Amino acid sequence: MAIITISRGTKSGGRAVAECLAKGLGYPCVAREVLQEAAEALGASEAKVREKLTTPPGPWDVITRERHAYVVAVQSALASRCVGGNLIYHGLAGQFLLRDLQGVLRVRLVAPMPLRVQAIVGLHAHTTHEAAERFIRKLDRERRRWVRRMYGVDLTDTSLYELTINLESIALETACLMIGTLARRPPYETTDAMLARIDEFATTSRRHLQAIAGGGR
Amino acid sequence: MAIVSICRGSKSGGQALAECLADYLDYPLLGREILQTTATAFGVSEEEVTHHFHRSPTVWDRHAAIRRVYVVAVQATLAEHLSTGNLVYHGLAGQVLLRGLPSVMRIRLIAPVEMRVRVLMESDGMTRSAADQHIRTVDAARARWVKMMYGEHIEDPTLYDMVINVATMSIPTACDFIAVGLQQPEFAVTDDVLSQFGDFRVACRVKLALVSESETRGLPLEVKAHAGVVTVSGSAPMLATGETGDRIAAIARGVRGVKEVRLKVQWFDPYP
Repeated sequence: MAIITISRGTKSGGRAVAECLAKGLGYPCVAREVLQEAAEALGASEAKVREKLTTPPGPWDVITRERHAYVVAVQSALASRCVGGNLIYHGLAGQFLLRDLQGVLRVRLVAPMPLRVQAIVGLHAHTTHEAAERFIRKLDRERRRWVRRMYGVDLTDTSLYELTINLESIALETACLMIGTLARRPPYETTDAMLARIDEFATTSRRHLQAIAGGGR
Repeated sequence: MAIVSICRGSKSGGQALAECLADYLDYPLLGREILQTTATAFGVSEEEVTHHFHRSPTVWDRHAAIRRVYVVAVQATLAEHLSTGNLVYHGLAGQVLLRGLPSVMRIRLIAPVEMRVRVLMESDGMTRSAADQHIRTVDAARARWVKMMYGEHIEDPTLYDMVINVATMSIPTACDFIAVGLQQPEFAVTDDVLSQFGDFRVACRVKLALVSESETRGLPLEVKAHAGVVTVSGSAPMLATGETGDRIAAIARGVRGVKEVRLKVQWFDPYP
């Protein structure tokens, strides 16, 4: 049992590694579901929640702290998914949303630009390589800015993760196998003490959300 | 069989990980002693070689030529150790010295500065501030060295196959999952990979021979080898006597393992 977060740029193989891990370890694998639950809790649309977790905050957000409510809602939804101790999360900002929870295995995947461009072009035949690369660079830039503004750190800083894997030379299956091996070792293997910490974290996150929702947004 | 290269900051647990892997896989281990081997081969002190690997070059580097000789010499020594297809290397600059070779797992090990400071205080009896200062100075010098020599950021994760953070992970755990990865097909040392290691070895020997001779030392030459056929490319001054080309070819031909030399050198007039 373990909680694994997978951070990656768009089209860097994150979903494939997450699904491979879920199959190998028999854990649930979530990403978008967490945003949907957060949206439901806030009475907002999923698109709105996604926007708040991807586009860099502006000065207005800093004054109103409106964005904070969305982040807390997603954190609360993710925390409740962690209860029980088995989870692979490959959605947005997992390494930050669970940063107060000890024992989480935080993985970052990096992939070379040509591979990422090919993944988009392969899916959308009408997209040129140049357009795909522009799209990827724009998303990467926005995500880095979001993290910088929200948490004051660089998304690509390897010290934020237990493990960073470069999929240029490591096959997806190998990455999956290595992460799976690591997940079964201490301190990532879920113990009774960790289960208790997860319960406490989920309760705190839920109360935090209730306090914010109760206080109006 | 596989080759592992471990790059790390001072007191990040790199040596312990390398020893654990070498022991677990029963592979030979090669670390800083590569500098001693190189020093002996050149008849200089280990400190002399170490100095050129540790002190970062400045823009106006008076020692650029001799530094290049030592770097090429260390790379050549490392290339000789690849012949069996099994090696755990935890010496300096493995990620750049072995760049482009197949079946090499390039690992970077990182640890929080606070953890490294504690280790240094315990091992060397330093004060906290002295240990902190030492680690930051060594880190900065190594980063500058890689930047000046290869134009890369030492912390760029794309230089490595994996970056492992030992803030929460024990060395035996890291050793365990790396060993699992090394057994996968992309790190298998096949006959074809061994033959590429052989080509790399010959190319490194030729590069070393070229930088060891004063006439060819300063020339920006690249060397590639395939099945004993060596191709030297780059640029060199065109002398009326045609001596430079002859010297390059003669030096390369005198290297063990070279059967044929091909020059793809762009000649330029040094006195236009």
